Amino acid sequence: MENICLRVAEGESHALLGPSGAGKSTLLEVIVGLRPASAGRIELGGRDLKGVPAEKRGMGYLPQRLALFPHLTVRENILYGPRSRHLSPAAYRPVVDSLVEATGIEALLDRRPDTLSGGERQRVALVRALAARPSLLLLDEPFSALNESLRHELWHLLRALQAEYGFTTLLITHDLSEGFFLGDHISVLIDGKIEQSGDRDSVWRHPASVAVARYLGIRNLLEGTVVDLSDSLVTVDCPAVEGRLEVNLLPGRPRPAIGASVFVGIRAEFVVLRDLDHPPREGEFILQGRFVDVSVAGTDVTLLFQPAGKDLTLEIGVNRRLLRRFGIKADQPVMVGLPRRDLLLFTS
Amino acid sequence: MRFRRFTVVCALAVLAVYALLILSLFYFFDGAAILTALASKRVLFSIQLSLVAATIAAGLALAVAVPAAYALSRYEFRGREAVDAILEFPLIVSPAALGAIILIFFSNPVGTWVQEHVLQFVFAFAGIVLAQFIAVLGVAVRFMKSAFDQVPRRYEMVARALGASPSRAFFTISLPLARRGLLASGVLTWAKALGEFGATIMVAGTMAMRTETLPIAIYMRLSTADIKGTVALILVLLTLGLSALYVAKFLFRDRRARA
Repeated sequence: MENICLRVAEGESHALLGPSGAGKSTLLEVIVGLRPASAGRIELGGRDLKGVPAEKRGMGYLPQRLALFPHLTVRENILYGPRSRHLSPAAYRPVVDSLVEATGIEALLDRRPDTLSGGERQRVALVRALAARPSLLLLDEPFSALNESLRHELWHLLRALQAEYGFTTLLITHDLSEGFFLGDHISVLIDGKIEQSGDRDSVWRHPASVAVARYLGIRNLLEGTVVDLSDSLVTVDCPAVEGRLEVNLLPGRPRPAIGASVFVGIRAEFVVLRDLDHPPREGEFILQGRFVDVSVAGTDVTLLFQPAGKDLTLEIGVNRRLLRRFGIKADQPVMVGLPRRDLLLFTS
Repeated sequence: MRFRRFTVVCALAVLAVYALLILSLFYFFDGAAILTALASKRVLFSIQLSLVAATIAAGLALAVAVPAAYALSRYEFRGREAVDAILEFPLIVSPAALGAIILIFFSNPVGTWVQEHVLQFVFAFAGIVLAQFIAVLGVAVRFMKSAFDQVPRRYEMVARALGASPSRAFFTISLPLARRGLLASGVLTWAKALGEFGATIMVAGTMAMRTETLPIAIYMRLSTADIKGTVALILVLLTLGLSALYVAKFLFRDRRARA
């Protein structure tokens, strides 16, 4: 871990995204108090947690493998937290009853975890983590073992519970769709370092570095050199496309110097297909070439485009409807546009 | 297939070796001699002494072994490697040497003071319990550690995060989840204490109706060439030991099935 600074606001749902092995689970265990921090400081509501054992931190923790206690019934599992914190039944019963009702697990209360389905276990683990009204709920990839439809169902359930009870959540996941669905605020952890932290839209639209861009699935990255610079526009000479790309300069982002090495990136879904017979549009860099591959995955289609005479492959994302409508096939000549408004600039 | 057959033959050979030895006892089997032996006050005393001493020794060993094994299984601490290495100490030195070491301890000033002011161990019931306790302690810790190792740490971590103190997490989560493994380990520890001979004879001697445990009684019978009496006592010890092993195996099997 290196210079980690993570701030989770009260009532916020914060997703910490990062590839496997980035140190996400370790960080979470340090926050929960299950692993000592060799350096640094963790505060909760302004209180320094140094030396405060896990049981006194008042957090809820939902680990990846749930860890429902196999020798206890669902009810005993749920009440484990409130009883360990010596809450009176009057204090926890209304919350527990309401959570049990909201998650629809009333009929499971007297059963043992080994008799539950995957989705039921998730619900029980969620209620157990929330039963003692934690000040912060920490979720460590809790839905990773579930099938797609069940995961979506539980995402909606978690969002609904959060809206109703207003608890603060820190979720860690390597799954982009999960992180961007559940997190209002996103932090990206790569190689033990927080590369970017910001609201969901800003992180998705404007990754702060090449590492974040790659992690967020942007594979169209062109290396180049800054040749011109104005207040809001950077001109980059990109040998790969044998041309100069104009990129909008975002306010607050560092201004590269002329002559600096940079990367220009564009999301696959923002590369546009253009008609060969029509003139290019204003603010678009046009490339002519052919599709070298068409991959279909469900409704999503990925086209690999190779500009004529250039050693470059760009990824273009379309949907299956567009594929049918335009009769797109491999080896088909085509013209594509890189709109300036969608180009991203990354200083090296 | 050849390799499989070879390994299976080896496994069956293990059974054959022990079965052959046990079956050979029946060459000298004499029902009347067994009944006579079992009815004798001296043999009944040996059986009772063995059962009581083994139970106390195993109980004491478990009282130390359970927390020690938990510490070895869960915590990193200074001296952990040394503790782990010393567990095999009673296995490395022969039982007779272990008994001799205990005797030598009671010959030094500290040991003499203990004998004079705390409790008489040499040639006494307490010596039997002590010899058995020392002989089985390391193995008991090893067995118990294995039982705790089988319980994933994540259960305790979640319990702690839910507000349980380390001791509450231990008593409400780790201990119940390791229960069967601990019970099985306890039974094996008891069986080992019951059969302990070398250290016991060195510390407690062979005094009839005082320190003569079942294994010592077997030795004494054999030394007087009483083969039938020896066989009778061996069968008693065998019955007790095998029953304990069966219980332990049953507990282990059930634990594996639940895992």
